[in-house]
Formats: sequence, structure tokens, C-alpha cells
Amino acid sequence: MRCLGDFFSSSIGRKISVAAAGLLLCCFLITHLAGNLLLLAGEGTFNHYAEVLEANPLLPAAEIGLALIFLLHIMVSLKLKYENRRARPVPYVVQKGKGGRSWGSRAMLVSGLLLLAFLVIHVKTFRFTEHRESLYRHVFDAFQNKVYTLFYVAAMIGLGLHLSHGFQSALRTFGVGHSRAMSAIKRTGLILSAAIAAGFALLPLWFGFMAGGAR
Amino acid sequence: MKLDSKIPSGPVEKKWDKHRFDIKLVNPANKRKFEVLIVGTGLAGSSAAASLAELGYNVKVFCIQDSPRRAHSIAAQGGINAAKNYPNDGDSIWRLFYDTVKGGDFRSREANVYRLAQISNNIIDHCVALGVPFAREYGGTLANRSFGGAQVSRTFYARGQTGQQLLLGAYSALMRQVAAGQVKIFPRREMMDLILVDGAARGIICRNLVTGALESYCGDAVLLCTGGYGNVFYLSTNALASNVSATWRAHKKGALFANPCFTQIHPTCIPVSGGQQSKLTLMSESLRNDGRVWVPKKANDKRSPQAIPEAERDYYLERKYPNFGNLVPRDVASRNAKQVIDDGRGVGRTGLSVYLDFADAIKRMGLNVIREKYGNLFDMYRHITGEDPYQIPMRIYPAVHYAMGGLWVDYNLMTTITGLFCLGEANFSDHGANRLGASALMQGLADGYFIIPYTLGNYFAGSKLGKVETGHASFKEAEKAVSAGIQRLLAIKGKRTPADFHKELGALLWDKCGMSRNDKGLKELLAQIPQLREEFWKNVNVTGSGAEFNMTLERAGRVADYLEFAQLLAKDARERRESCGGHFREEYQTEDGEAKRDDNNFSHVAAWEFTGTEGEPILHKEPLEFENVHVAQRSYA
Amino acid sequence: MNLTLRIWRQNGPTAQGRLVEYRVEDISPDISFLEMLDVLNENLAKKGEQSVAFDSDCREGICGMCSLVINGQAHGPERATATCQLHMRKFKDGDIITVEPFRAKAFPSVKDLVVDRSAFDRVLAAGGFISVNTGNAVDGNAVLISKDRAERAMDAAACIGCGACVAACPNASAMLFVSAKVSQYSLLPQGQPEREKRVLAMRKAMDAEGFGNCSNETECEAACPKEIKMSNIARLNREYLRATLLSE
Repeated sequence: MRCLGDFFSSSIGRKISVAAAGLLLCCFLITHLAGNLLLLAGEGTFNHYAEVLEANPLLPAAEIGLALIFLLHIMVSLKLKYENRRARPVPYVVQKGKGGRSWGSRAMLVSGLLLLAFLVIHVKTFRFTEHRESLYRHVFDAFQNKVYTLFYVAAMIGLGLHLSHGFQSALRTFGVGHSRAMSAIKRTGLILSAAIAAGFALLPLWFGFMAGGAR
Repeated sequence: MKLDSKIPSGPVEKKWDKHRFDIKLVNPANKRKFEVLIVGTGLAGSSAAASLAELGYNVKVFCIQDSPRRAHSIAAQGGINAAKNYPNDGDSIWRLFYDTVKGGDFRSREANVYRLAQISNNIIDHCVALGVPFAREYGGTLANRSFGGAQVSRTFYARGQTGQQLLLGAYSALMRQVAAGQVKIFPRREMMDLILVDGAARGIICRNLVTGALESYCGDAVLLCTGGYGNVFYLSTNALASNVSATWRAHKKGALFANPCFTQIHPTCIPVSGGQQSKLTLMSESLRNDGRVWVPKKANDKRSPQAIPEAERDYYLERKYPNFGNLVPRDVASRNAKQVIDDGRGVGRTGLSVYLDFADAIKRMGLNVIREKYGNLFDMYRHITGEDPYQIPMRIYPAVHYAMGGLWVDYNLMTTITGLFCLGEANFSDHGANRLGASALMQGLADGYFIIPYTLGNYFAGSKLGKVETGHASFKEAEKAVSAGIQRLLAIKGKRTPADFHKELGALLWDKCGMSRNDKGLKELLAQIPQLREEFWKNVNVTGSGAEFNMTLERAGRVADYLEFAQLLAKDARERRESCGGHFREEYQTEDGEAKRDDNNFSHVAAWEFTGTEGEPILHKEPLEFENVHVAQRSYA
Repeated sequence: MNLTLRIWRQNGPTAQGRLVEYRVEDISPDISFLEMLDVLNENLAKKGEQSVAFDSDCREGICGMCSLVINGQAHGPERATATCQLHMRKFKDGDIITVEPFRAKAFPSVKDLVVDRSAFDRVLAAGGFISVNTGNAVDGNAVLISKDRAERAMDAAACIGCGACVAACPNASAMLFVSAKVSQYSLLPQGQPEREKRVLAMRKAMDAEGFGNCSNETECEAACPKEIKMSNIARLNREYLRATLLSE
């Protein structure tokens, strides 16, 4: 027990928690994306999917679980970030590095905060809202607001960046690090993050710009 | 003063066992009542500290760097010898003993060397147990290689970083004792003086290099493990902080200094590039296994090496020593390089180097084999010189590398001061006039892990040591004297920097007391050093104050000691009217230019007693007797 | 070559530091960066000014005493190179070079470019050893270790403890340093009896020193003069997770 306490107060233990939460969120993103892509299959299919999902009695529990995972991921990350800042009280005058960092890793905090802002708006727009007609209509209407659509797309670029570092970093934190495995993981991570980001961004672009008058 | 080496009686192979049985033991419960001060944390210091702490003694260790792990043992590349005979090639304790005495040109003590060879095997076992990642064969057994011209493969190694791995092993054992509360570490301290109470070593004065404060520490014994004095030559392969000050100041308090003229010059160093250079970098002499040494036949030949046809090259080592060729011992290789350079046949921009050419080896074995064998050395060379040794021949030049001389110690490693012990390169004991490759690491660890734990206990058990505290008058007086010395340096405010004096002293020594020496040059040198010393004390400029981190002041103190020590080195070199090992006197050579020993008059250890900076040192001789090794003239022709 | 140096000068741990500009002239391209600083210090001494304090010892890239962040890069621009083996031929005549100390809360300033890295010693004292007293050892060949395993242990053991990983890490994390030692012993059979105890203790000591948390930025690997690999960090994570699950 003492050991577990140690684990959750240690740098490595907390990193592992963030990584675990991050990987679970990745899984969530993939199912969420699959559901979203049903929008492309037409109004009927998508609305049917939405109704079945909402009728599932386990949904509230799953939502609470998901919220907790988000909360853990965000809170612990911010705490670690805060400690990292404090670990170097006097910054370098010249900061250059030797080329180890990727764009994704540099942008972790910014992309994370962008995603947090997006999350709040996103949940407010699509979850805690009364939609007059079907959910499909609601989505369609939401993306007629060009500013919102562009924000959505920007957030998805942020998501791609976040995942490009996050995915491989999470696996390293879990102790996967053999050099041959690592290059495969890096490649998978990049493809996965690009696919998730592009998949999510496709819908606002489609509804906002391409399918504009299709009603 | 009568020198008593305290060598146990009996046949050489029984001496150490007999001694270990004869010595007195300290009751386990009483060990914690003893306090040991250890200066220096190289292989000897770290291993001694760890082993003594494991026995229960309280240990304080002092090091000049910011961590014990940085001591210069870390830079040893090649390996460590042991008489394991794992390769089944005819090695034995007896052979390692024999080779070491012969390699030392018959100027070391048989009893000490035999003990070293005996202990060598325990060292390997202990280092493996400590997690030192020695090289292994595919079957999982320890790998060996032949080193420095030895005819058996008895060298254990961890890539080209054997010294590093052995030191980190000893350091890990030391840190374990730090965690256990048995050892306390005092980093960034420089020993300024040794304190004697009732004739026995009972403490030291240190300068805290960060705050500049003088600190006193007392104990029941003092161990100096402070390494060699190669930096007296200014340019050497030693680390910047390596210095003679600790042993020199102990010498001034009464410890005899033995064989200071025995300095080893390593033949395969990267040549000096210019006046702004601070140190020389050694490359493993394994390079001579496949590289061919040559210079142009004509003097002042400025052509590029590729432009010089085969017929106009002089492979002088192969020509003069057809049997050993490029693998002649270190001193022979070095001296011959000097000779061809003195003839004006040196190569490179400065003319101060010779070629070490791998073109034939690459042709014979292929680029890949050479890359596999020497890749890291070639990379290092390219890094430092900016030249690619796969394309054009390497250039090498000899450099001061190791000091065989050091404080005189008896069989128990105790100096002529009661309670003052000296371990590792800092003492004179095992290598005679020349050290064999891969033997320095062996000696440092033998002294620290396996000898001092016995002999120090014997000293404690056999002595009545009263209680001493740092409030004792002798500490106060010494602190005052050290402080006055520092103030004296700071007050001169002359025109030249300490480094400038150091450079000049080094050049003088290298010129007249380097690879070869003669009476005329040494006589001149003995007149020049006091002049330089006098100028130093009138014209040195030490900026800053004593009460702060002050690198210039540190340097000044060390140079002041070099200026005194160099005199003794030159004096010893002049007094030893024979050639042996690293000490080559031009007057004493055979017809074909080989070192000629004089066993009738110089088969002794020259141990010098201090009589004042301007006084003449007194020579004490410890005769050397060879009962087991047949004394013969070395010949590599 | 002639150069302009902007060097961090700080008169002690609590003093305010600042960059001070110096000129050095006639620098040979064949000398090392530290020898260039020696030249500067000689010039300063001749003018009666205090020399710039910096750490160095072996000057052949193995002791780990030298440090410096040069133009924002730990140990300067060259890969797999410690500052003492960085040669001036890597710079151009007329360059402006900014020199700063290794910066981290766990490496408090001593003076100018010198910092206190004793945190590393304390982390190793917590568990960076195999508990065997002198005299206990069995024959060196009694335990067989495959060549591959010995080589991998040696890869990790090559760490020189300079602290460049901490200096280069955006988070000032010491994971690469700690992982190198944990890896060396966890790969070797001699290290097995204390395997769990060691990693738990060293993790604790590391965190107590105030190093930051690893976020796998790989800057440490890029700055390491001995090319210690990130895979060691993964192994440390694994070892820690394993030890947490196995210990009672």
C-alpha cells in the first residue's frame, strides 16, 4: 500500500497515470470518430446510431468515467508541467537545443490548452444542449457558423500535434523503448494522429463548406 | 635515517600470507573508534575508503574535484592485468611477477611486485562482483587481450574505458558506505598541509575551493592517494587538477620522496598543436599492433605523406628492432621518436611528430576490420586534429604519462612518517623504473582494496594513539602558516601569471629532463630552476582574493610546489648515473643506443630527505636485492 | 580567429548573474573550447581582472567535470562531444558566442559557469551500487554473462555523470542519468538481488533533489556526450513499474 502511495506521488508514477489516461482517451477518440463518420452515411443512419447510444443505460456511467479520465489527464499534466517549470528557475538566455524535440513535443502545453478550450465549447455545443430537430440537423446547423468551423478545424490540428508526441511518449512511459520497436511506434503514432485529426476535421469542413446548400 | 622496508622473511611466494597471519588485528568493536583521513578518490583512494568503511572504520575522504567519480584514474583506457590464465596461454602469478620486475628494469622490490601479482586475481573477481561490465566472450566468460607487448593475454578491459569502469565501481562501493554513514565526502577540497602530533600523522589542513576557507581535520591515520606528478612538465596526459602538492607538502614534513626521476613517457599521444594547448591526449598503444611508424629519410622533407615514395621513407623501429618492430617498449619507442625529430625529420606543421601509418594494415585486413578494431581511437584522433586517419597517416608524439616515482613506502605502504600511508601512483612501490601497460589500475586497486585494510589495522593495533582534536596547537600553527603562504602569493602582484611560469618550467624540464637526459643539461637545469623560482616569488600575479573560488590562486599554489619539486626531480636524475627504464642518460648507453644499467652502483631506491627549500636534499639508499628474478640487460634488438 | 564572447558571470549562488561581453583574439582553430577560455583568463589575469570560473579536469571527454551551455546547446553544437573536446574549428572568425552554466534548480550555481552537481552523487548513494564487501567475490567466470548483455550494460555504464541531460532537458529532468545506472545493474546478474530496492530508492532520491519530470523530449539523448540512449529511460519506467508491482 505504501508502495502505491509512493507510486502516485512519484514523477514516474504520475507520468504513467497521465500516459494511461492519454491512451484511454485515444481509444475514446477512435470510437468517437467512428460514430462521427456515420454522419457521412446520411441523416437516417446517424440519427439511428445516436438514438441507440442515448438509450443505453450504461451511458451516464461511461460519461462520468470519461470525464474523470479527462480530469486526471489534465490535472496531473498541469501539475507536472508546473513542477517542470520550477525545476529550472533561471531560464537560458539562448535556447536552442540539439534537435531532439519535435514540434509536437514543443507544443504539448499549447495544444493541450487549446484542446481543453475546445472541449468545453464542444461539450456545451453538442452534449448539454436541447436540439430542436435531429442530432444530425444540429450538427449541420452548428457548422454553418464559419468561425466555429474554423476553430474546430484548428483544434483538430492541435489534436494531431498533441497525439504525435503523446502517443509515442505514453508508450515510452510504459516502458516500451527498444530502438527497433520505437521507430515502428513513432511511425504508427504519426499515422494515427494524422488519421484521427483528419477524420475529425473532415466533418466540419464537409458540412461547413462542401455540403452548404445540400439541405 | 635507516630505511626499513619491513619486507617479511621467507620465500617470496609466502611473504604476504605470512605477513597477513603475523599482523595484529583490531577488535571489530574497536574499529569504529578510529578515524581515517583519505586524500584523493582515484582507484586507490576510493577503493581504500570503501574497504576500510566496510570493516567499520570511520572514513573522511577529500577530493579536489566536485565529485569523487572524476579522479583521473577515469581516463585510463587500455585495461587491467591479472594472472588468471583464462586463455590457457602459460600465464601465472609467477610470470606476471617476473614480467613486472623485468619491465621495471630491475628497480622495484621483488616482494611488493609478487604481492601485486598475487592480488591481481582477487581484483578482477571483486570488480566483476561490483558490476563492472568487463568485455565478454560469446560463451559468457571474461575476455582477455594482449597489451603493451606482453606475450600472454592477461589484460581485462571494458572497451577503451577500463579506468572509468573500475573507478565507477570503486566509487559505487564508496557511495554505498556514504549512505551507510561510514564515509563522509569532502569535495572541492585541496590538501594544504599535513599535521603531525608527537611525530605521527594526525590530520590535514584543507582549503575549501568554493569558499576559500581553511579547514582542519583530525584522524588516527592519513592516506595520501593523490596520484602522480606528471603535470610538473606542464604538458602531460594528466588531468588539469593532478598535482604534486599533497605529496610534496608531506615530503616537507618528513616523508622521503623516492625515485622522482622515474617518469614514463607514452609514445602514442596526439601531437602538440600550438602554444595555447593545455594538455595532451593519449591514444591506446594498441595502435602500434597494426600501425607502422615512419618519417621521411631526408631531413626537412615538407611533402605530404602520400607524396613520399616507399623508398624515401624510414620505418626506423622496424629497421632498428627487426624482432619487435613497432611493438618495442614505451621508452624505446619514445626515445627513437625524439631522435628522428632531433635529426630534423619530424613531420607535421610543427615538425614535432612522426607518422603512424595504417595504409598497409587497411590493405591487408580491409577497412572494416581496422574500423572495428580502432574505430573509436580513429574517431578521437579525427575529432582532435581534424584529420582523417583512414586517409592520411596519423601523427603521434610522446608525452609524459605516468610517474613511477613517489613517496617512499615500506611493505605496509607506510611512508617514513608514522601514520602517513601512501597508495597508488602517489607512492613509488611497484613499477621500478618503468611501468608496464595495464599495471597502473592493478596497483591502485591492489593497494586500496586488498593491502591497506590489513596493514592499517596492523598499525592501529600496534600503536598507542592519544586523542587529538583540531583545536590542538599544531593545527592552529599550520593553519596560520598556510594562510600566510596564501597571503604571500596574493601580495606579490607581479606581471606574470602562474600558468606562464608553469609553461616555462615545463619547457625547461621537457627539454633537459624529458625523454633523454645528460649531465650537462641537468647541471644547467639545476641552476635554472632556482632562478625561475626566485622570479616566481617576485613577479607572479595572482588576481582575486583567498576567501573565494579562485582558480588562479589554486594554480599558483601548485606551481609554487612544482618549482620546488622539479629541483628534486632534476637532482635525482643527475645523481642516477645509469640508464634504466624511463630514465635515459645519454652518457650511459650501449653501442646500439640502448639503455645501460649500472647494477653495481645503482641497484637501489633513491629516497630523498627534505632539508629546506634552498637546502641540499639528503639521499638515502634502499638496496634492491633480486633473489627470484634473474637480473639481465634488457634487449629488444 | 577573433571572437566575441558573452559569458554568464555570477558571484555566488544567491548573487544576480548577467552576461558580460569579452573579446578574444588570435585563437588557434586547433584548440579546444576550454583552452580558448584559458586564453581569455590569461588575458584577464594580465589586466588584473578576476578569471572566469569554469569546471574542467581530464580534458579528454571522460571525467564529466566540464559543462557549459554554448549558444543554447549543452556541450556546444557538436553531437557526442563534451565541451573539452569541442574544437574551435567548429566556429567561425567573428562569431558571437554565448556561454551559460548548466541551469537547473537541482544544480545550484557556485560561481560564474560552475554549478554544484552533488545531487547526482546523492542519487547514486541511494542505490547506485551492488552491495558486496571486499573479499566476498567468487571467481570472475563463475557467473556467465552473454556478450550481448555485457555490451548493453557497458553502453549504459558509459555515462560520465556530466549533467548535460539535465541541462538540455526542457524540464531539467535527470531521468537519462538515473536510467543509465539502473539499466547497467538491471542488465547484469550481479544486480538482480537489489533490483527492485534499487530502482525504488533511486527514484525517490531523484525526485527529492528537485529535478523535473521526463516528458520524452529526447533532448537529453541529443546532448549526451556519450550517446546514452532514450531506451534506458523506457527501461527505468519499466523497472519502476515492475518494482512497484512486485514489492510488498
